[in-house]
Amino acid sequence: MAVTVSACGGSAGGDDGTVTLRMSWWGSDSRHQLTQELIDAFEAEHPGITIEPEFTGWDDYWDRLATSAAGNNIPDVMQHDTRYVREYADRGALLDLSEYIPDTLDTARLDPAVLSTGEVDGATYAIPTGINAYTIVADPKIYQQAGVELPDDETWSWDDFIDTAAEITRNTPNNIYGTQDIGFVETGFEVFARQHGEAMFTEDGELGFSDETLAEWFRIVIKSRDRKAEPRPSLSVETHAGGVDQALVGTNKGAMGSWWSNELPTLTSSTGHELKLLRFPGESQEQQAGMYYKPAMFWAASSRSEHPEEAATFINWLVNSPEAAEIQLSDRGLPINTKLREQIFDKLEEPDQQAGEFLKEIGPDLTDPPPLPPPGAGEVQDIMLQLNEQVLFGQLTPDQAAQRFREQASAAIG
Amino acid sequence: MLVTDEPQVPSESPPVATRRTRRWPFRPNLPSLGEGKVAYLFLTPWFLGLLLITLGPILASAYLSFTDYSLIGAPEWTGGDNYERMLSDPRFFQSLKVTFTYVFVSVPLQLAFALALALVLDKGVRGLAFYRSAYYLPSLLGASVAVAILWRQIFGSNGLINTTLGAIGFDNLPGWVSTPDYALGTLIVLNVWTFGAPMVIFLAGLRQIPRMYYEAASVDGAGRLRQFVTITLPLLSPIIFFNLVLQTISAFQTFTQSFIVSGGTGGPADSTLFYTLYLYQRGFGNFDMGYASALAWVLLLIVGGLTAVNFLASKYWVFYGDD
Repeated sequence: MAVTVSACGGSAGGDDGTVTLRMSWWGSDSRHQLTQELIDAFEAEHPGITIEPEFTGWDDYWDRLATSAAGNNIPDVMQHDTRYVREYADRGALLDLSEYIPDTLDTARLDPAVLSTGEVDGATYAIPTGINAYTIVADPKIYQQAGVELPDDETWSWDDFIDTAAEITRNTPNNIYGTQDIGFVETGFEVFARQHGEAMFTEDGELGFSDETLAEWFRIVIKSRDRKAEPRPSLSVETHAGGVDQALVGTNKGAMGSWWSNELPTLTSSTGHELKLLRFPGESQEQQAGMYYKPAMFWAASSRSEHPEEAATFINWLVNSPEAAEIQLSDRGLPINTKLREQIFDKLEEPDQQAGEFLKEIGPDLTDPPPLPPPGAGEVQDIMLQLNEQVLFGQLTPDQAAQRFREQASAAIG
Repeated sequence: MLVTDEPQVPSESPPVATRRTRRWPFRPNLPSLGEGKVAYLFLTPWFLGLLLITLGPILASAYLSFTDYSLIGAPEWTGGDNYERMLSDPRFFQSLKVTFTYVFVSVPLQLAFALALALVLDKGVRGLAFYRSAYYLPSLLGASVAVAILWRQIFGSNGLINTTLGAIGFDNLPGWVSTPDYALGTLIVLNVWTFGAPMVIFLAGLRQIPRMYYEAASVDGAGRLRQFVTITLPLLSPIIFFNLVLQTISAFQTFTQSFIVSGGTGGPADSTLFYTLYLYQRGFGNFDMGYASALAWVLLLIVGGLTAVNFLASKYWVFYGDD
């Protein structure tokens, strides 16, 4: 038994005085490759530190991290997400990095508004990797095919969005649609709630929107379904489950969809032609703008790491080293280090540059990013997905779904 | 059959075995170890496995089911809260509904299929060995990730089924795995498709029935159906019972198929939210291991209860031929 336990014990230092850090991330194949390049470059610069990589896709990542947390065995350095930082931080699993700022971890050049999204009660548990925004991605080619003008995204309303999408479905062959269903991901609703002066979560970690606003959101989904702006429900379910690889805009089967700005390169390379980023509908038509710079993801360290100093050194290198920035470019969002953001801008591939330009352009109109959501936010995304399906298949009315959401989400974050 | 045989075997065989062992030239020099003790020695690896890998976690989960345990922090004792919470949890009831529907529809269908095929093969088909293997194959594959992925493709909006139906003129077909009304049905079909394991057992059972009964019956003028009802069914009933118990338990434990086909969500709209999948979501996805442990114990009680009912009911229809 003793043997089994110690074998699970994980990473102690090597016998030759080198330190081994485990590092985990989620992502696609291209991210796995470039992260390996990052590791190689870091190791070359820091001969005393060896990095052991662990990587998976998004869903498996969280199941796996939770399980290792149960075994007190989470990696020394982890890629993290807004939905889960507090889950881990509140339960003492994450290292308070403030102790290492600024000596080991230099935050002087990190975008302060975004940096603060990694803080809980004055402690810094996570350093954002970069920024992106939740946007509407449009395919100009399909617009052209349908004989529809690209909308003016500075003024378009939610009605315009549905009208345009419905017209595109009408004017194109059977298997091409105006838009992919945008109700599955809770971030879409978050933007909508912010446009109404509300929020997904308040500063105190409560639900921050009214039932009526959410019901209104579900009504948009139903309208989009009924006017055939989007495919029939079963196809919407399948397309959503297929992720970014099966996006309607990526597979030339749809004119629009809601995606993160750093997903533009993937979408562009699968369509084979240039796509366009648009602001969310209603940004100027509703009470206020709802879009925001989101920390694309975070770097966090384990509170049980045997080598916290080295973990902080590694995170510092990941966000502040020009070499690291040149390797990752915008894969983990446009760098949070504002100096490096400028520096790599010209080196970005065409779609990345386009995404960068877009982020710059909308910057002045954006509102401050929301605070870190409370523990349980990860479950809230599942609840939204499930209720959106029930709404699409007509099992719940928008009002019923809004009420269910409140009940289930309150229980999840309670 | 089992009940009467068992007491006889142990009472006769040990002396035989002991004599044999004493003559064995390389007997290890452990005079104090009797036959039973040697057996225990050989059983140790299995026993340790049971203790550490099965029994330990079972007891741990019994404790955790009375706690609030987020996986990350330490468990906190909450008494019966988790069990109480189930009563007001709509997704718990949804998962029960899905699982019971699945068990009560797919198990009888699967057994009927298996028995029918076994009867056909028992009549002496040329190349029996080939068919037996061919039909058994899905049982080996059915619970695998690969087949679940295949299933998602076949029954998808643009899958094999819809392409075929489309070619013969059907239009506007739904995606079978992605429509709440049909999604569970596709998983039931998948389970029925894995009828090979019970079929092989049925086939062995059919071979045990002495041919002379059938000969006697046909001399007396009994037709095929009569023979099936009065000879085959009663003599096969212990085998049917065995298959029924086994397949029911395994149907309750179904996880992989719905996890893969629905991408772990139990969707669309919770229509394939199997009990085990919900348990997994709570425990590993939503930091709710205490509640998940309570769910596991309730499942154990349900399966145990149903198996007990099965055994009690078996007195009335299972015929062991010796009572």
